Amino acid sequence: MKENVSLAFDRHRSEEMRSGLWKFVGLLLFIAFAFWSIDVLKIPIERVLGMFGRLGTMISERLLPPEMAFAAQPRVVDSIVETIEMSILGAVIGTIITMPLAWFAAWNVTPSRAILFPLSRAIIVVTRGMPTLMWAMVLVAIFGFGPFAGMLALVKASIGFAGKLMAEQIEAIDMKRVEAIRATGANELDVLFYAVIPQVWANWVGIIIYNWDAQLRNSTILGFVGAGGMGLYLREQISIIEYQTAMAIIVVIIVMVVLSETASHFLRHRLY
Amino acid sequence: MALLEISQIKKTYGTGEVALKGVDVSVEAQEVVALLGLSGSGKSTLLRCVNRLVEPDSGQVVLDGVDITSLGKSSLRNARRTMGMIFQEFNLIDRLTVLENVLAGTLGVTGTLRGIFRAFHGDDIQRALELCERVGIIDHIRKRADQLSGGQRQRVGIARALMQRPKILLVDEPTSSLDPKIGREVMDLLKEITKEAHIPMLVSVHDIFLAKNYSDRIVGLQGGEKIFDQTTASVEADSFDQIYHEAS
Amino acid sequence: MIDAAIANPLRDPKDTFRRYTIFGVCAVFVLAVAKDIIIDETDWERMGTLAEMVKTALFFLPEWSFFPQTVLPLLETLLIALWGTILAVGVSVPIAYLAARNITPMPWITYPLGRGLIVLSRSTHEIIFALIYVSALGLGPLPGILALATRSLGFLAKTTAEAIENADPGPIEAIEATGANRLMVFCFGVIPQIFPIFVGNVIFQMDINIRRASILGLVGGGGIGLMFAEVMQNLYYGRAGMIVVGITAMVVVGEFISNRVRERLI
Repeated sequence: MKENVSLAFDRHRSEEMRSGLWKFVGLLLFIAFAFWSIDVLKIPIERVLGMFGRLGTMISERLLPPEMAFAAQPRVVDSIVETIEMSILGAVIGTIITMPLAWFAAWNVTPSRAILFPLSRAIIVVTRGMPTLMWAMVLVAIFGFGPFAGMLALVKASIGFAGKLMAEQIEAIDMKRVEAIRATGANELDVLFYAVIPQVWANWVGIIIYNWDAQLRNSTILGFVGAGGMGLYLREQISIIEYQTAMAIIVVIIVMVVLSETASHFLRHRLY
Repeated sequence: MALLEISQIKKTYGTGEVALKGVDVSVEAQEVVALLGLSGSGKSTLLRCVNRLVEPDSGQVVLDGVDITSLGKSSLRNARRTMGMIFQEFNLIDRLTVLENVLAGTLGVTGTLRGIFRAFHGDDIQRALELCERVGIIDHIRKRADQLSGGQRQRVGIARALMQRPKILLVDEPTSSLDPKIGREVMDLLKEITKEAHIPMLVSVHDIFLAKNYSDRIVGLQGGEKIFDQTTASVEADSFDQIYHEAS
Repeated sequence: MIDAAIANPLRDPKDTFRRYTIFGVCAVFVLAVAKDIIIDETDWERMGTLAEMVKTALFFLPEWSFFPQTVLPLLETLLIALWGTILAVGVSVPIAYLAARNITPMPWITYPLGRGLIVLSRSTHEIIFALIYVSALGLGPLPGILALATRSLGFLAKTTAEAIENADPGPIEAIEATGANRLMVFCFGVIPQIFPIFVGNVIFQMDINIRRASILGLVGGGGIGLMFAEVMQNLYYGRAGMIVVGITAMVVVGEFISNRVRERLI
C-alpha cells in the first residue's frame, strides 16, 4: 500500500521535472523569438524604454484637451454627414449584392454546386481578405477623390463581412421545409422565397444592421486616403501637427461609433 | 463547550428569500451531525454560513474557540483552512488533473507564487498521494477530473477537503448527484475517514435513510427553522413526518 | 418583406400597411442619400470616360515579378500582428478581471473603469491608435504593434469578462472554501474554466490583426502598408496590385488556419 504511493510519488516527480524542462525550453524559444523579432523589425530598444514617458507627455500636453470648436465648423459637419451617408449607401448596396451571393455560397441550397458555389465563395473570401483601406486607395486612383470611391470600398467591405455571416445562416436552416417545398415541384427560386428566406430573414435583418454599424466604423477613416468623409480632416490636421483639433475629430468618431453600436444593439434586440 | 457552536444564524438573500430564521446547532468533537430537510429548508445556506461562503445577516459561529463571524478577510481565510468542505456537485476543476485538484486543498497554506505555478511542496504531494490511495483513486491521479465517474469525482472532493487537515468537515448533500449504491459507498467512506482523523462532520441530507444510518444526531430543518434536534437513536417517526408531510 | 406577407396570408392588413410604410420611408431615405453621394458629391467630369477608368484599373493588374520584394514586408506585418496580439493578451486579462461583474474587486470603481477601457479600445479604429503612437514615438513597427495591442485588448477583455461572468460558480466556491486568496481563486477557480474560450478568441484576434497590421504602414506604423503607400505615391500600380494580392493571400490563409485550429479546440 505504502509502496503504491511512493511509486506514484517518484513518477510524479520525474514527470514534473520533464514538464518543467519543456516549459524552460519553451521559454527560451520564446525569448529567442522575441530577440529575432526585434532584429527583423529593427525596433530601437532605447526608445521602448522611454516609451511611456513620451506617450504620457504626448497625451497630456499635445493631444489634450481636444479643441471641439473645430468639429463644429460647417465644412467639418458636412464631412460628418457625408461619412454617415457613405456608410448607409455602401452598406445598403453591399447587402443587396450580398443576398444573392450568400444564396449561391450556401452549400445546402445553392442553385449550382459546380460553378456558382465556388465562385461566390471565392468572391466572399477575397473581399474579406483584402484590406478595405488599400482597396479604397486603388478606387481613388481609378475614380478620383471623393465619397464615390469610399462608397464602393464599403460595398466591398460589406460583401466580405455580411456574405460569410448570411451564408452561414442559410446553411443552418431546417432542411425539412426545403424538402417540403421541393416536393411540390417548385424550382430553385421558389425554394429560395418560400423555404429559405422566411427562415433566415429575421437573422439577416440583424446582420444587415450589424454590417451598417461595421461600415460606419470603416467610413470614418476612409477620408484618410481621400475616399470621402471626415477622415480627410483628421489627416489634414495631423499633417499640419494640429493635434488638438485632430483629437476633436477622433472624439467625434468615438462618439459616433459608440452611438451607432448602441443604436444597432437596440434595433437588433427590438426586432427579435 | 462544543467544537462548533452555531447560534441564532439568520439569513435573508438579496432576492428577499428568507433562508434561515435564527438557527442554533452545535457539533461535539468527533460527532456526526446530519442536517435533514427538504430542498429550500436552509441546509445548504446554514453550511455555507459556517465558513461564510454565504455571509449571515446576524448570529454567531464559533469553531474551536474562534468567533468566525467576527473575523476580517485575511483571518477568515485562515479559519477556512481549518474547515474542509465537500459539495453536492463536487465542484472540481474539470480541466486540471485529479492530483492537482487534491492539491488545491493546500492553496490556503501554499504561497501565492507557488500556488499560481502549481509548484506544490514535496510533503504536500506525498500527502495528496496518500489521500488518493486512501479514498481509492490512486490509479486515476493523472486523469483530468472531468474524465472520472460521479463516485470517483466525489472521492476527489473528499481527498481535497482532507488535504486541508481540517478540524471539521462541512458536507453538503454529498450523495444527491450519485446513484444510491455509490452514494452509500461515499457515505461509508466519509464516516470511516472522520473516525480515523478524529474529526466531526456536519452533513446535510434530504434522505431519512442516510440520516438514520450515518449520523449520531439529527437536526431537522424546515423553512429556515430548526424543528427538532435529537440523537439519531431517539428520533421518532413523527419527527420525520413533520419534515416531509407538513411542508407548508 | 414580400415573402413574409405571402408566407402568412392571415397577417393583419394593418401590419402589412405598416411594413410597407417603413419600407417606403427607408427606400426614399436611401435614394436621397444616393443622390447626394453619387450625383452631388462626385465630380463625374473629372473622372473621365468609362474607357479611361478601365484603362487605369488595368494598370493594377499584379506585377508578379515584384513578389520577392514583398516577402520581407509581409513577414514584418505578420510579426507586428503577432506581437500586437501577445501584448494584448497580457493586458486584457487584468482588464477582464476588472470588468467581470462577479469578481471585480471594487464594483463601483473598477467595473466602470474596465468597461470604459473596453469601449474605448473597441470603438476606435486601429489607424487612429497608430496615428497617436506614431506621433509620440516616431515611425516604425513599434507604434504599429502598440496600436494593434490597444485595438485588440478591448475585444479580448470583453469576451474574457463575459466568460468569467458565465463561469460555473461551483469550483470558485470550492477554492474559496480552502482559504485561498483572491489571486489563487482566480488562477485555480476561474482561469482553467475560461481557458479554451480565451485561446479561441486569441487565435481569432491574431487572424484579424494580420488584416489590421497590413494597413498600419499607411500612417507610418511599419509593415507592408508602408511599401504600399510608397508604390502608390510613385504610381507603380502594378506593384500595388501585387501587394494587394499578397496581403489577401496571407489573410485568407491566416483565416483558414485560425478557423481550423478553433474548430479543433471546441
